[in-house]
Amino acid sequence: MLVSWKWLQDYVALKMSPGELVERLAMAGLNHEETRPLGDDLQIDLEVTSNRPDCLGHIGVAREVSVLWQTGLCLPVPQPAAGGPPVTELTKVAIECPDLCSRYTARVIQGVQIGPSPQWLVERLATLGIPAINNVVDVTNYVLMECGQPLHAFDFAKLAGPEIIVREARPGELFEAINHKSYPLERGMCVIADAQRAVALGGVMGGAQTEVSASTTDVLIEAADFAPLSIRTTARRLTLHSPSSYRFERGVDPRGIDWASRRCCELILQLAGGRLAEGVISVGQEIPVREPITLRLAQLPRIIGIEIPADEVRRILAALGCPDTARDDRSLTVVPPSWRRDLTREIDLIEEVARVYGYDRIPEDVGVPMAPSHRSDEDRVLGKVRQVLLCAGFDEAITTSVVPEDWVGVFSPWTDAPALQTSTPMLKGADRLRRSVIPSLLEARRVNESLGNPVIELFETARVYLPAGDGLPQEQRTLAIVSGGDYHRVKGVVEALLAVLRPGTQLEAVDTRQPLLDPVKSSELRVQGQCLGYLGELSAEAGKQTGLRAGATIAEIRLSVLVGLADLIPKHAEQSPYPAIDRDLNLIVDESVRWAALAGTVQQSAGECLESLRYQETYRDPKKDGAGKKRLLFSLTLRSRERTLTNEEADGIRQRVVEACHQAHAAVLLGGV
Amino acid sequence: MALADFLQQLDDLAAQAVQAFGSAANAEALEAARVEFLGAKQGRLKAAQKGMGEIDKADRPAAGKRFNEAKEQIEAAFKAATERAAAPAAAKKSEPLFDPTVPGTAFRLGRLHPITQTIEELKDIMGRLGFSVADGPEVEDEWHNFEALNIPREHPARDPLDNFYLAAAGKAIGSGTALLRSQTSTVQIRVMEQTPPPIRIICLGRVYRPDTADATHYPMFHQMEGLLIDTRVTMADLKSVLRLFATSYLGRDVHIRFRPSFFPFTEPSVEADFHWDGQWIEFGGAGMVDPNVLRAVGYDPEKVVGFAFGLGIERLCMRRHGITDIREFYKNDVRFLHQF
Repeated sequence: MLVSWKWLQDYVALKMSPGELVERLAMAGLNHEETRPLGDDLQIDLEVTSNRPDCLGHIGVAREVSVLWQTGLCLPVPQPAAGGPPVTELTKVAIECPDLCSRYTARVIQGVQIGPSPQWLVERLATLGIPAINNVVDVTNYVLMECGQPLHAFDFAKLAGPEIIVREARPGELFEAINHKSYPLERGMCVIADAQRAVALGGVMGGAQTEVSASTTDVLIEAADFAPLSIRTTARRLTLHSPSSYRFERGVDPRGIDWASRRCCELILQLAGGRLAEGVISVGQEIPVREPITLRLAQLPRIIGIEIPADEVRRILAALGCPDTARDDRSLTVVPPSWRRDLTREIDLIEEVARVYGYDRIPEDVGVPMAPSHRSDEDRVLGKVRQVLLCAGFDEAITTSVVPEDWVGVFSPWTDAPALQTSTPMLKGADRLRRSVIPSLLEARRVNESLGNPVIELFETARVYLPAGDGLPQEQRTLAIVSGGDYHRVKGVVEALLAVLRPGTQLEAVDTRQPLLDPVKSSELRVQGQCLGYLGELSAEAGKQTGLRAGATIAEIRLSVLVGLADLIPKHAEQSPYPAIDRDLNLIVDESVRWAALAGTVQQSAGECLESLRYQETYRDPKKDGAGKKRLLFSLTLRSRERTLTNEEADGIRQRVVEACHQAHAAVLLGGV
Repeated sequence: MALADFLQQLDDLAAQAVQAFGSAANAEALEAARVEFLGAKQGRLKAAQKGMGEIDKADRPAAGKRFNEAKEQIEAAFKAATERAAAPAAAKKSEPLFDPTVPGTAFRLGRLHPITQTIEELKDIMGRLGFSVADGPEVEDEWHNFEALNIPREHPARDPLDNFYLAAAGKAIGSGTALLRSQTSTVQIRVMEQTPPPIRIICLGRVYRPDTADATHYPMFHQMEGLLIDTRVTMADLKSVLRLFATSYLGRDVHIRFRPSFFPFTEPSVEADFHWDGQWIEFGGAGMVDPNVLRAVGYDPEKVVGFAFGLGIERLCMRRHGITDIREFYKNDVRFLHQF
């Protein structure tokens, strides 16, 4: 809302500096955007919140000034002299759509002399950036900026027939606005029509055909009220925003409509002459009577935290236009003014009193009682997960939840249900709620590759959205990893996570088929009998499809499983005081023997003295071992809880392991018997 | 033995030892020389010491003095040789030289996204002020995103063009009311619906609004929302909590200012600013929880009262680290990430 420093002084004395004015107004709810000197005036830009349409005119701002500085407010009382025939003999108004237009008033002035506005009016409008058109149009703009009520002047002679019809637009109806552009109208829009056509888009813009021009002699002055939602939709659908639509969207003062109409006619008579027809045509709903509101004084300290003297409370409310109708020691009852539709409840009055009294009087150092707070298990687990990933050299990425349609099919191990779609794309082409984070991280990897970044190790913890019928989707917390390393590099990270969250947890790698992944170097990961997630190297085709230059390995993990298995308060276990003995083994087995199977046999056969079993490496020497063979190298750490193990005992265990592996897997000890 | 002979013997021994230690080419030779001269049992110095028994009693102090000198001389020569062996002289060109200026063994540490770092810091500070973290879904229904927050159907915030409503396979879900949450205040409602007062929570997470991406806007961003509900809570408590928060975050005492504002779910509503480096900086929106919101979750606004506040995490993070384009956060360039 642009305000003129000089214009404000028509209604209230400004004894403060412009700087003081905007500072105090900002502290009372009208934020200061900027002040620009224009001629000998100042253009002050104030931000008005959507609940305060009463401040979308100079009078409203002046009222705030008068309340804050406790000075008088002096408002014009328009009394245009009627010298013409009764207006009912000239025109009629019918509202066919009371839902879209609750009130419509019309006055008619005959014999006006269209011409330029006087200098003072041109200057005032110029301060607000409004170009002067002619005296009649300028007056409608002037009154709009004075009180916030939009007005429209029709060239009365150009109306087809004397009657004004307020109706809903017909689908496909074309309307030519005063900007000389044509707009196709839709149902739900409100038009002002004559016998033949729409002559104005109600509350948004007037029409070209009935525009006031140099040849106009008779004008019909419209002052009305239109439904905020319809106005907003109309302005938005047609991208046709005007100072009028801006105000109707926020609501105008129902009792200010007639005031504005009279004020407009009074100024037209002054500046353009003519004869005002007797009376007014005013149709529409009764203006609702405002309900009284009772403010209990004890509620002020209860909400605001400070006492405000009762007299001060009364003064503030009265100055705002809410004089009390009843009061006692503990409360007062007021009727809010018609221009403050935002005041309907006690809490509204509390806010009014508090903001005018001054929020700066509220202390900022009261003793807020202490209270315990706790970290959720999920938060703790997430903290540990992040720690492990950072130590493993991964950087955390954050990617958007909504992705392009062609990404959602790339990888979706959690659901086959089609991804949810957003009504408008989030970014260009992105309108699907992702079912996996992996495609987003692959894209982040691609971007990093194109920047020539040598090491691109990324993870993200985010939700994926799994459709669940007609209800809200299941939001699965997910850890996604994309690495330039191989399968085992990423598997090692997952194993480290388990080792930190619950040492000793067995991670199973089960064969899986995922279109994105290499059919051999990919697995479903399982722990404690449930699916933890998926891990694998990208297949060669997938690498091409995703536009990556180098291979990559991905993993997607369900965080809920990690939270479920995490041992957040581990218990101490007594450590054996006896020394450990290590034994290394090198077994030759068929290629088809998997480590997990062999390790199971080792664990079973080694007995209770096996403290740990460590895989070392796989080695192939077809010349010595024959084709289709491999060597599995591993170490045993043996320790007893009761005594120091002898070398002979350790050798015995080792021998038992070798025999068991031979039995179960036809494993042969390298160089052994 | 005559004293003069003994002294001569000591001089020769010392000279030979110095020579031997000095010319020892490697650790083995040095060890051999050590055993020869300084060996505890068979060493020649030890043998010389035994020779002192044959000296006249009167001459013994002189002999002992000389013996000690020789011993010191030999030991010093050995020490010097040992040090030389540990750090080969520059003259020996054939051997590799230790270079302490070579960088240490490299290992890569990852970085947390700056948004996560900011979130963790906020959680940490608010945790110390007694606020626990609460969580809720990002896909919401209109009740939790609007209705219960006192945002009626006609309110501009509900315009379909200003929200991401959701459909499955072309069909609206949740009876057409499911949408990506436009604010974290939804979590307030969910917590209050399920928990009796008192309540002290924060909620941090992603929110979504169809803004065109530019340097200061992104259609997805993060918010922190705080809520405190109890029997006696006032705007003074709100101001004080925000001041404690800002003072903790910025590391020195700051002051808080309230400017009137308008949000459907709080009344009175304010914009909170903090004073920093001589100017007022916008902190975020705040206010006393609107009685309609308390009623919507089944609380009695006559019995309980509370405050709520919210702030944008990207803006906070950008200001802290001097980031000028919000889109940097979502590009995930590892060079960007490694700055924090």
